[in-house]
Amino acid sequence: MASCVYVETAVRHHPRTLRLLERLHKLPLIEIDHYGEVFNPRSQNFRLQKKNPAVIIAHKNKGQVLAAPEGYGLGGDYNYYFSHMLNCIYDCRYCFLQGMYQSAHQVLFVNYEDFADRIRQIAADHAGQPVWFYSGYDCDSLANEPLTRFTNFFIPLIAGIDNAWMELRTKSTQIRGMLKMEPLARVVTAFSFSDAFSHGKLEHGVPTIAKRIGAMRRLIEAGWSVGLRFDPVVYHRDYQAAFVDLLDQLFTQVDGQKLHSVSLGSFRLTRDHFRRVSRLYPEEPLFAQSMHLNNGIISYPLDREREMIQFCEAQLMKHISEQSYQPCEWHD
Amino acid sequence: MLIWVCALHCEAKPVIDFYRLKKSQDRHAFDVYRGDDMVCVVSGIGKIASAAACAWIAASYPGETSFAWINLGTAGGAEHQIGDLLQLNQVVDADSGQCYYPAPVAVSPLSGSACLTLSRPSEDYRSDTLFDMEASGFMHSALRFSSAELVQGLKVVSDNRKQQTGKDRQRISELIQRHIDSIHRQAEALQELDRELAALEPAADSWQQVLLLAHFSQTQKSRLRILWRYLCNRDFSTDSLLRQLATLNSARAILETLEQISFRDSEGL
Repeated sequence: MASCVYVETAVRHHPRTLRLLERLHKLPLIEIDHYGEVFNPRSQNFRLQKKNPAVIIAHKNKGQVLAAPEGYGLGGDYNYYFSHMLNCIYDCRYCFLQGMYQSAHQVLFVNYEDFADRIRQIAADHAGQPVWFYSGYDCDSLANEPLTRFTNFFIPLIAGIDNAWMELRTKSTQIRGMLKMEPLARVVTAFSFSDAFSHGKLEHGVPTIAKRIGAMRRLIEAGWSVGLRFDPVVYHRDYQAAFVDLLDQLFTQVDGQKLHSVSLGSFRLTRDHFRRVSRLYPEEPLFAQSMHLNNGIISYPLDREREMIQFCEAQLMKHISEQSYQPCEWHD
Repeated sequence: MLIWVCALHCEAKPVIDFYRLKKSQDRHAFDVYRGDDMVCVVSGIGKIASAAACAWIAASYPGETSFAWINLGTAGGAEHQIGDLLQLNQVVDADSGQCYYPAPVAVSPLSGSACLTLSRPSEDYRSDTLFDMEASGFMHSALRFSSAELVQGLKVVSDNRKQQTGKDRQRISELIQRHIDSIHRQAEALQELDRELAALEPAADSWQQVLLLAHFSQTQKSRLRILWRYLCNRDFSTDSLLRQLATLNSARAILETLEQISFRDSEGL
């Protein structure tokens, strides 16, 4: 349960805020001028806050949609990302969000219409070309669906823009809203998975693998495009057997040939993120493993990384089509 | 360690009595009462006094790895009943406009309130906020030493539009004393968080022992601390590690050995 709700005075009476507050009415409410007052101060402990993060209801003033970092995307020429939330309800130790912000509070932006205007404008700037909009960069796209009703707004928006594509990246099973809609081929729901051992050790609060496979299957049956993300693959003594088990579990229930896209990458963080998160969790084995610094990125030593990717790729290719495979390329 | 910061002795008295804190007999800039992993400092009135007391008491415990803080005192509130206990969820300094947000880690059983810190006493009551004379100074200073989750303000309403307790010290102590069980529960929750953070740091004695094994450069010392902290948190026996390291003859060999142990351990996640 969240510890309290902060709400920006400017959006206190916004219809989305009122609906959110109806659901959060049992929590103490604190009015603030700007979410940064609570979210940005340095003297906060992410680890302690993560126990019961507060909800911050806010207005995103600028930068609603941004160009995606190089290497992020599914091969399209025009890639953008947007975040209707900051931070995630899950607590995955390997996630770059662990070291991204000072605060673990969840920021929910309510001015969806401003995001929509920007998406329309960007799509118009690239008229006739497919433009990808990624929504799961600073948050899990679907995890907070009951609160945010994100898909209710953004899927019809994308449906109305001929050259717009959207990726929803998630570890959640909150697909009820999507199942009530007409499927749209230009919306891809990408489910992230780690093997069962890594899931148990590192993905705190994340629905079980079986539940997520169930959600994936229901979306496919309803006609939605679905993708798979094995990113990051984390090293442990039995990662090979565990990865094979995961694929067996997945592909006995999902037809690998019908997937829109599958991506794979090993664990990596920028040096700054790695430092921050390893300071927060000094007891975490993931950060005590043998690592290698290359061009500001901390990752496994090259031979280990190569071995992991080659093994996982070979296993994946037994189940999926080559066209759907997108390796995560981040080396120079 | 939990630090109580109170402006007046009469505000501190219920805490001193409840925890049986003993007055420090040393000559100090502020009156200090000590107990088991707990200290209470009496700052005097005003935000500057409160900030100074926080800085002074933190500096007087250089070996402490983590502090939790509670500013306990009285406040005015237009609509509140005399004797209400409130937890501060926003503190605004009236002079600078600076806002501070204590960050509760759980839903508090206490009602919350904003608090406006003034430089002078005032009877200009506002309906949406408490006012006091210390909270912003306390927050400003305590947040230098601890994160916002470990800093709390608890205020008992001593004045409202209809009634003022004024300088009746016994009455102030009584108003706070009534809530001592709730105050104690807040303190316990805060201490638990504080202990959780403190436990992540290796025991000072084992850290000093490992440092004595060789001459470490600053870079080596940083790496050593990360490795030592990891292994201590993974419940390796520090005695047995120290015995193993004592046979090695250089800082580099010690670091390599600790790295190998960490790598092996971490491969099991």
